[in-house]
Amino acid sequence: MINFHPTQEQLVDFVEGNCSAALALVVSAHIDMCPKCQKQTSILQASIGNQALSIDSVTDGADLNVNFGSMIAEITSLPAAEQISVSKREAPTIELDGRKFTLPRALGRYVENTGSWSHLLGNLWQAPVDMGEIGKANFIYMQKGGRVPEHTHRGNEMTLVIDGEFSDGVSDYDTGDFILMNENHVHAPHSEVNEGCLVFSIVDAPLHFTSGIARLLNPFSHLFFK
Amino acid sequence: MLVGIPLEAKRTEASKPKECAKEMSAYLQTVAEDRCKMSFSKVFGYFAPRLRSYALKQIGNEALAMELVQDTMSNVWQKAHLFNAEKGSPSTWIFTIARNIRFDMLRKQQNRKEDICSDDLWPVLCEHTADANEVSLDEQITLEQVGGLFDELPEKQRVVLEGIYIEGKSQQEIADELSIPLGTVKSRTRLALNRLKEMLKDHD
Repeated sequence: MINFHPTQEQLVDFVEGNCSAALALVVSAHIDMCPKCQKQTSILQASIGNQALSIDSVTDGADLNVNFGSMIAEITSLPAAEQISVSKREAPTIELDGRKFTLPRALGRYVENTGSWSHLLGNLWQAPVDMGEIGKANFIYMQKGGRVPEHTHRGNEMTLVIDGEFSDGVSDYDTGDFILMNENHVHAPHSEVNEGCLVFSIVDAPLHFTSGIARLLNPFSHLFFK
Repeated sequence: MLVGIPLEAKRTEASKPKECAKEMSAYLQTVAEDRCKMSFSKVFGYFAPRLRSYALKQIGNEALAMELVQDTMSNVWQKAHLFNAEKGSPSTWIFTIARNIRFDMLRKQQNRKEDICSDDLWPVLCEHTADANEVSLDEQITLEQVGGLFDELPEKQRVVLEGIYIEGKSQQEIADELSIPLGTVKSRTRLALNRLKEMLKDHD
């Protein structure tokens, strides 16, 4: 059951188009998985959208008399988009060790940018996702007993649980949960369920390991958790 | 002020949002069914200036705002058949398209930015961020392995790295402690990290 959602403020920022591209991606993937946030978002879209594009939204009357030149002609010379029924489109998936995981629609466009899996320390698997400059993203799979050393964050770490469950010493997370961590959080994610746990995660700065010998990894953490 | 008055009056007169939604829905339907350019120009005439005004406030750049208007209205023209009046008003539908395009633009903009040297994140490795990426990510490094390699470093370099990464001291603190110049601490750190990186490469 999904217990962790974006805040109302984050949803509003998303609907208005005012959050970072990285946060927008994780929020929109969460919305794909979460009926509650789907409902909330469509309510927000209706009220914010109608308000933004209402008559009164244009405060300077002159704004309405902009010359758009040949824009209409250019647009209407375009062909209509092919009619593809949304339901017919197959859900995107990724594979690890012969196991197929269904991804939320929003992540579908990044499947082809996903590199191959590599095995990391502590029963962890990682596949990097090339997102350009919007952040460093990875699919991370924790096998049963898999554990990420305790760490904090120099920036934001946004995580979406794609499949399975994990705990981090602070909370227990389930499929669909949305988790935003920053420099105020220290945690050590691990999974104890048989099927393990697949998450999608974007960090906008490398992790900073806080405990014991794992601190030796700090200069290299950008190699692991880019 | 004299100019402002007639504009005000004109706007109030045209303000009938609910009927407008019905009207716009009908136009969108005609665009979808007949590719009707006349209907599209009605939709365009209503929404394009409002989109531009909203985008201008949000982005603050005329050229980008116009790009957003063009991309959004192109989508409206090409995908009018996807509009469903039962699911929401034309405003909501078009606003959502514009929002998605806004995020696409944001992604592209960020990708155009030049790589920023992550000085704040990696003060020590900063000069080496370029070649750091060349280290294979497939290496299976365990904590123990790194610990083992650490011991292979020359004593002077190891002391400096231990101070920074295990004891969490600043480079200045270490310089003071060892009574050596800050520049020496920096160069030892750099040498040690380079060496560790080399050792990691050779390890397999």
